[in-house]
Order: sequence, then C-alpha cells, then structure tokens
Amino acid sequence: MKKKLISTAAGMGLLLSAACASAHFQMIYTPESALVKGGAIPVKLVFTHPFEAGHTMDMGTPEKFFVVRTRGENAPKTIDLKESLKPMTWTSLTNSGKAWETTYKARGGDHAFCLIPEPYWEGADNFYIKQNTKVIVNVGGEPGAWNEPVGLPTEIVPLCKPYDRWTGNVFQGQVLLNGKPVPGAEVEIEYMNHKPLLDSNSFAKEAAVEAPQDAYILQTIFADANGVFTFGIPREGWWGFAALDLDPDYTYKGKKCSRDAVMWIQAKDMK
Amino acid sequence: MKKIILGLAILLGSASVSHAHTPLCSCFDNGDDTITCEGGFSDGSSAAGVAMRLETSDGQVLLEGKMSEDSEFDFNKPAQDYIVVFDAGEGHRIRVPGKEIVE
Repeated sequence: MKKKLISTAAGMGLLLSAACASAHFQMIYTPESALVKGGAIPVKLVFTHPFEAGHTMDMGTPEKFFVVRTRGENAPKTIDLKESLKPMTWTSLTNSGKAWETTYKARGGDHAFCLIPEPYWEGADNFYIKQNTKVIVNVGGEPGAWNEPVGLPTEIVPLCKPYDRWTGNVFQGQVLLNGKPVPGAEVEIEYMNHKPLLDSNSFAKEAAVEAPQDAYILQTIFADANGVFTFGIPREGWWGFAALDLDPDYTYKGKKCSRDAVMWIQAKDMK
Repeated sequence: MKKIILGLAILLGSASVSHAHTPLCSCFDNGDDTITCEGGFSDGSSAAGVAMRLETSDGQVLLEGKMSEDSEFDFNKPAQDYIVVFDAGEGHRIRVPGKEIVE
C-alpha cells in the first residue's frame, strides 16, 4: 500500500511538472497568416500561456530570428531579422513580460518565420525550456516550400498547407529532431483564446471560449511511429502545437533543458 | 459518340487543369520609380518565360517582355496610366492596374 502511494505521489509529481512546463508557449504572432496582398506586417515574439492569457515569461535575446522566403520553384531566400527586433513589454491578464517586436515587408509566396530563443530558466521545474518556433505566412496564394523542413534543430514540418485550413479540417505535422522524425513525440496544443491587441501589446481581457475543465486548456496528443500527429481543428483562430522534450539528454549551462518544437497555424470559418 | 466522349474528356481535362493551376501575379512599387511583378501558379509551378505587357487602357502596348527565371518582371514606372498584363494564354491572363500597385 505504501509503495503504491509513493508511486502514485511520484506519478502525480510527474504529471504536475509536465502540466506546468508544457503550458508555456512561444508565440510568433502576426494577425493574418494568409494575406491577399503584400505589405508591411507586424510580428511579435511573446513567451506566454496563450489559452488563459496567463503568466508571460521574460524572453532573453533570441539566438536567431529569421525568415525563409520561398515562392513557386524559386530557391529559398533567408533574411536575418534579429537586428530588426525591438524590445517591448507584453501584458497578460496576470503580469507583464519582456518580449520583442518587428515589422516585416512581405511580398508574394511563403514566409517561414523562425525563432531560436535563448533557453528560459523555469525555476519551478528546475530546468530550462527552449522552444524553437515556426510560423508560415503566405501572401497572394502562391505557395512556396511550406512542406519542407527549414532545418531548425527541433522542428514541426506541416503535412497540410498551414495557411489554408478551414475550421473542421485536420492539421498534420511531422516532429523532427535534427532532421529526423521523433516517434511518439508528445504534442501539446493550445488555442489562442484571448485576442492579441497590437496597439497596447497585450491580450484582450475577454476569452473566446471557456474550458469546461482544466484538461481542455492544454490538449495532448502523441505522434505516431513516424513522428506524425493529426489534430482536428474545432474553431477558427490561431492554434499552437508544442512538441516537448524531444532530446531528453539535452542540457544547457549544466542543467536539463527541454528542447521543444513549436508551430502555430490559423484556421478560418467557412462563411 | 466517340467525338462526344473526346469532347467531354477535353472539357473535364481543361477544367481540372485550371482548378489546380490558377495564374497569380502581384506587383510591388520598389519606391525608386521601378516596379517588380512576381508571377506564378497556385500549384507552385514556375511562371518563367510567361509573356508580360504594359498596356494603356485602350489596349496600346507600352512595353513587352517576359517573366525571368525567378518568375519576376521589372520595369520603370511609366508616367501615364497603365495596366500590367500577365499573359500565360487563354484563361490564364491577369490584368493588374498600375494604380493598384503600392509598396
């Protein structure tokens, strides 16, 4: 009995730490993933808890932030955006955190924004979190290499065009570590439940939906043997996918570091 | 009867091609009195070599050229009103009025 209790307690500890760690989501936010026309678009980098517009963590200086532009059969062009980043403060419903912003001039085709952040020290869990994040924006409907890996150390590669999803479609992605599929990867999903307000760099107070119970705040699915996961999209808006701890032995500054891959997609209602 | 079937096949064939293969052309003002037009198709195929024209509203041709290997077409902004024509053949033609071209 004692043994059982201990193992249950240990199990609960595991569950708790997993739940805490995983609710963090690195955002690369711009209001529209499928633009009709090109032009200057705002881009915000925020490390937060998007469903609840909860605690926003202080971001360090990103290691890398760049965009890979692909259009039709043209060779990809990588544009470094790190120097264009300006620090700003993002306000959630519970606090404010250090974040970054820039403006990007987008012409036709696919623009894969890629962020490699500085690892974030999560004192409550005693480990670092490093969420390499990708968001693909398209201009004008002409596709590029959206289904090819950019080559991030951890990466979700979409198997469906990430900017053409209707509400009710599925989204499929393949989880990669150093370019190789991660069988059975754990993927957590959050809905951007509070509208980001770009003028004030904050989340709207009003939530779009209410979770009937805490499990719904952060959904969990697992990838198959090929690292492929499938998610049915129940509502329009932005959905974040975080594949967690893809390299369990990875360390940073002598401490464990959860090496995650994050991707966001935006779904639209048929109307 | 054979003719009808053939006709149907051609109709169906061309219909499915046009669905999977919508022409696309966007033009941008480079801010230095030059314009860049980017062409392509909705299935991602290249528009290299596609005929490009600048026309006046009454159909007078101001300039003729073609899409480059990178499916781009650059030209100096004309002083008069103009329309950019991306001409990949019947059903694959796009007209972009110069007035709508911004940075």
